[in-house]
Amino acid sequence: MKAFITSTGIISPQETHNGTGFPDAVREEVNNRLTCMEPDYKVLINPVQLRRMPRIMKMGLAAARLCINRSGGINPDGIIVGTGLGCLENLEKFLLEILENNEHITSVLPFINSTHNAVAAHIAMLLQNHGYNLTYCHRGLSFESALDDALMNLEEKNASNILLGGIDECTGDFMLLHSYLGYWKKPVSNLLLLENKTPGSIAGEGSAFFMLSSVPSDQQHAIVEGVHTFITPDPAEVNDIIPEIDLFLQKHNTDKKDISLLLAGINGDVNFDPVYNHLKQSYFASHTGLAWYKHLCGEYYTSSSFALWLASVILQTQMIPKVTELISPDRRNIEKILIYNHTRCCEHALILLSHGKI
Amino acid sequence: MSQRVFVTGVGIISAIGNGTGETFTSIKSLTSGIGKLSLFESIHGHIPVAEVKFTHTQLAEMAGRANDYIHYSRNSLLALIAAKEALASAHWNRDRDLMSGAVLATTVGGMDLNEQYYKSLLHDNSHKDVIMQLDSADCTEKVAFMAGIRHHVTTISTACSSSANSIMLGARLIRNNRLQRAVVGGTDALTRFTLNGFFALEILSITGCRPFDRERNGLTIGEAAAVMILESEEVADPDRIICEITGYANANEAFHATASSAEGTGAFLAMSGALETASLKPDDIAYINAHGTGTEINDLSEGRAIERIFGSAIPPLSSTKAFTGHTLGAAGAVEAVFSVLALQHQMLLPGLNFSIPMEELHFQPVTKPVPADLKHVMSNSFGFGGNNTSLIFSKV
Repeated sequence: MKAFITSTGIISPQETHNGTGFPDAVREEVNNRLTCMEPDYKVLINPVQLRRMPRIMKMGLAAARLCINRSGGINPDGIIVGTGLGCLENLEKFLLEILENNEHITSVLPFINSTHNAVAAHIAMLLQNHGYNLTYCHRGLSFESALDDALMNLEEKNASNILLGGIDECTGDFMLLHSYLGYWKKPVSNLLLLENKTPGSIAGEGSAFFMLSSVPSDQQHAIVEGVHTFITPDPAEVNDIIPEIDLFLQKHNTDKKDISLLLAGINGDVNFDPVYNHLKQSYFASHTGLAWYKHLCGEYYTSSSFALWLASVILQTQMIPKVTELISPDRRNIEKILIYNHTRCCEHALILLSHGKI
Repeated sequence: MSQRVFVTGVGIISAIGNGTGETFTSIKSLTSGIGKLSLFESIHGHIPVAEVKFTHTQLAEMAGRANDYIHYSRNSLLALIAAKEALASAHWNRDRDLMSGAVLATTVGGMDLNEQYYKSLLHDNSHKDVIMQLDSADCTEKVAFMAGIRHHVTTISTACSSSANSIMLGARLIRNNRLQRAVVGGTDALTRFTLNGFFALEILSITGCRPFDRERNGLTIGEAAAVMILESEEVADPDRIICEITGYANANEAFHATASSAEGTGAFLAMSGALETASLKPDDIAYINAHGTGTEINDLSEGRAIERIFGSAIPPLSSTKAFTGHTLGAAGAVEAVFSVLALQHQMLLPGLNFSIPMEELHFQPVTKPVPADLKHVMSNSFGFGGNNTSLIFSKV
């Protein structure tokens, strides 16, 4: 089942919350962590509720609100969220209180707000929405699992509109622990990420919501054709990945020559990036372009939600923002985009999009 | 064409036993798993809990991971043990060329490792090997690799309805021809984190939970893992079919972060939705394994929702949480396995600790294991955030 992206709302390290298009200026940070540029929440969330609300919930609720407002106020038939880490800051807070305060808890709120489903549940409460409600939390496949479920919901014909979200927050503790595993570079300009030929990437975060609909709207042209995920016990080689892409494209009656643009999860990590470039060179046609996005949003488990937003903007405007383009497609129209992202070459996800009006 | 979905294997480990055999024996002999906390030190040591009666080392041996158990969370070990039993009972062939998926569920993942190593990890990297075992995805990936599954591997976390949703998702993936077979279920180990969380919410029972009793005084937290193998009618071996999943529904109450509404709107929507998916009428249901946590609010709101749907003809029902405790992310799968056992043995499952009926409700839970003619049984799972799910299992 195809789904039409009929509206979006996104909070990211770039100035994306204000409009629906790609921002005019790109933010440069010399750091190894990109944090979100957050909107004035008071405009989007009841100020009474805002007090004591954890940051990730604000980000989730606000992006969902932006998306719903732009959809013309649709109350969806279901709310499905992917989050690799859930409400991590509150989980850490409650855990530390137990460990350092010998279980003398000062507030139960961090516990309540630590559950992975807290954001999706709060959106339901905000909208008084009794429909299907689910939260996926499987590292780098969280958002894609949510997307797959959204497509299945539309296919089952119980639903015409699904609100889909990808959210993750970065915390200092998460940065520290994953630095032991070689996840991050030393501080570096996000815009020079590829010049810095070292292992690791820069951390990121974001909250992106989409209204996926079974019928198109007049203004929007991006269609999600399908999604495919797989895992490998050890870092995969190009030869492990190609059969999966073949299978996926075949299922969606698409030839690899039809792909205008490969939007890849390149993150500057010299250990894991080569797979993307090898794929482009050895598998895809020479006219297929290559673009990337993680220098804009950072590396995080649901960064594919940023990629899906970017892909929808590219299909809509038929323009690839220069700052994301690595190899220009050799065709005038951008008809199909394949997003391929892997998490350290072990969790792999493919999303196929097409343009509805070409 | 949409496929029928069969249960072809089940596995369980909880406070009342390792495996379906021990589990059923405990139920028949009315033996509760609730007792004194022994797993870790806590200032809440006087509060009863339902522990799996094995140490970390013993669990590692049972899971076949004795060599590297130090890096395994109790959470993932429980999942592996339940999965091992389920896979064996379904005669799972990992080399069969079928579309297979794994969907597990948990609320706090490897929190038990977090509690042991977090402070040390904030200090230095000497325990860095546990870092990738801390999150919710770890249990699922370990089970998936054990079963030889590479596609459709994902983890669900919707608080206490998590693993009911994993079963529902597995069933939908098969019905919609995305998968031919799926390993589904949930796991949650007992942790200081959840014990303290529920204590701070002031909903832990000081005596052991008493579902649907007028004198009920809260829930008892437990730990468990339960796994089911689901297969499409196209690939299931008829000799292995235990029962069929005919109904499921997920709804949100949209009322409160931790409490359910007095009239049980979410529970009503989940149960009536499941009946609708199964094309069944309320009087087709012969037994309900209720969510029945034993908190004042849950049992009242669930009870009212049940009365609203079933009217004066309320089927026999019970909550089995006085046996296993409330096993959070595993509860949906644990109670789904119980529902399957009820069908398999054609027996109504009893609740425990019940003595005085609730004034507000017109029914009483089953208190003895009674042979019965069971065709369709319903299992309810409700969670924080109003995430409510009901499943219906049917005799084939």
